[in-house]
Amino acid sequence: MHETNKEWLPGFDKKFAELTHQMVKDLEKCLQCGKCTGQCPAAKLSSYNPREIIRDLRMGNVEKVISSHELWLCFFCSGCYAVCPRDINFPFAISMLRYAALAQGYGWEEVKKIKDPYAQDYYNTGLSVNINERNLGIKKEIAKNSKTDGRIETVRKKMGLPPKRLVSERAMSEIKFIADATGMTDLFKEINKKKAKEKQWNYGSPADLVKVKKGPNQKFIDVEEEEKEKIS
Amino acid sequence: MPRQEVLEKTKISDRMFLFQPCVGSNKYPGLITASIEFFRKLGIELVTSDDQTCCGGFLTFTNVAQPTSTMPAVARNLAVAEEMGLDILTLCNGCHTFLTEFSHFMNDRPPVKNVVNVILSMIGREYKGSQDIYHSLEIIYKLKERIREKVTRPLNGMKFATHYGCHYLNGFKKTALDDPHMPTIMEELIEAMGGEIAEYGENRTCCGTGLTQIIINKEDLSLPHTKMKLDDLNAAEPDAVVVVCPYCLAQIDRMQQKLNYRGSGKYRVPVIHLVQLIGLALGVDTVKLGFDAHAISFRHFLKKFDSMHAKAEVHSG
Ligand code: SF4
Ligand code: SF4
Repeated sequence: MHETNKEWLPGFDKKFAELTHQMVKDLEKCLQCGKCTGQCPAAKLSSYNPREIIRDLRMGNVEKVISSHELWLCFFCSGCYAVCPRDINFPFAISMLRYAALAQGYGWEEVKKIKDPYAQDYYNTGLSVNINERNLGIKKEIAKNSKTDGRIETVRKKMGLPPKRLVSERAMSEIKFIADATGMTDLFKEINKKKAKEKQWNYGSPADLVKVKKGPNQKFIDVEEEEKEKIS
Repeated sequence: MPRQEVLEKTKISDRMFLFQPCVGSNKYPGLITASIEFFRKLGIELVTSDDQTCCGGFLTFTNVAQPTSTMPAVARNLAVAEEMGLDILTLCNGCHTFLTEFSHFMNDRPPVKNVVNVILSMIGREYKGSQDIYHSLEIIYKLKERIREKVTRPLNGMKFATHYGCHYLNGFKKTALDDPHMPTIMEELIEAMGGEIAEYGENRTCCGTGLTQIIINKEDLSLPHTKMKLDDLNAAEPDAVVVVCPYCLAQIDRMQQKLNYRGSGKYRVPVIHLVQLIGLALGVDTVKLGFDAHAISFRHFLKKFDSMHAKAEVHSG
């Protein structure tokens, strides 16, 4: 599949503003200098290329960007913004483009991985990180280092803290109210059941349509046994 | 080099609202206790509230909730501190980014703020936007001389690598306390406490969490990136890595265990949050620094630290 550039999109920023809750501006000012890509950690390891994505957006290939694998590879490190001579805050654009992708049916599997368990924990406990260590290997290390059973509750008690950080009932009912009133609760339900559309575009070379290039540092991926991560 | 205008604008109050990070509470509780204890030694009371939840901004930038949902959730947390009349101190680059970006967004757009306040009024709160939100580095750097005076267990003979993380310096390249490309504030703080600096090339690269990459592309992106960073870091042979964000702490600490388990090398450099390090130098009880919750052991680190002090005593005695 080759690039199918449409016409240059005049007033792109204006059209884009609605799509992005006005959180992104100035993409029109991009010089295509490539400084962003030059230091981008995701670009280093994959076919992801922020400069190329901006170019596509300006050429009117919004659909292509939205349906791409690469849209989901940004680290959100803002390194591109730090070096950009035009002060384009690109990760914000990525985040907003991901909403646009979801609206078109793409990316729901990625979002589900974050919803379960992190966002669900937020909804249930007020905190988006669970106190139970899900990785048993790490729990074992903590047990060894602390000479306890490796549970954070136990470590907290040893430090003279209550076993769990308290979140008040008032706070819980308030965040649930906000979640219900603003559609967060419904979106969570939708994430649970929605099947994602298959992504259409890959910026990698057509001969090599793997999602991510295998870099030089990837030896360890092939070792014998995958860790058994289990919810404890 | 710190930006003078930011330093001047930073207000130190006797009481501040400690915004508790989720990772801090549920994975590395030492961050919270260390902060409370050493700030007390500097004459500052850090106040927490059970009404504070996860900052909430995380949910937007990971795309599991629309900004229209998380804006009021963030405003609610800000209002909790505002009702107490306190400025906010954050220990996490993420909390700092989300609270600051959203508060600016609302403060700059009165109609947005009004809508948010309509929702908040239904739960009996209001967001006014009157308080300051600080990154821990801003407050701590401003207190550098007070810290230097209060050091009881200097870090002499110990070598530290720094890791600033992404969101504070990169994301606020015009308003953060230091420059995103060549920051020095953490190094200055460590040296003020007697420590040495281990320099390494990948200092300014991401820890590898990549906000969501550790979850959605762990094998292909997150782990290889962390490994690259760690390999460079280890070559500088630091006694510990100092971070200012609990997410970076979790990534660098935990992924070492993962890489070791998979036979991808030997990684055992302890990772310490700046507040724990200051707590250590200022004589906070080691149990309260919470090293027990870390995956990479502090046994060798503390042994060396104690032996340095024993040596110093022999010399002075
Ligand atoms: S660094 Fe900025 S101006 Fe240069 S290509 Fe990237 S986004 Fe465009
Ligand atoms: S924020 Fe995303 S696009 Fe920008 S440098 Fe980081 S990974 Fe690359």
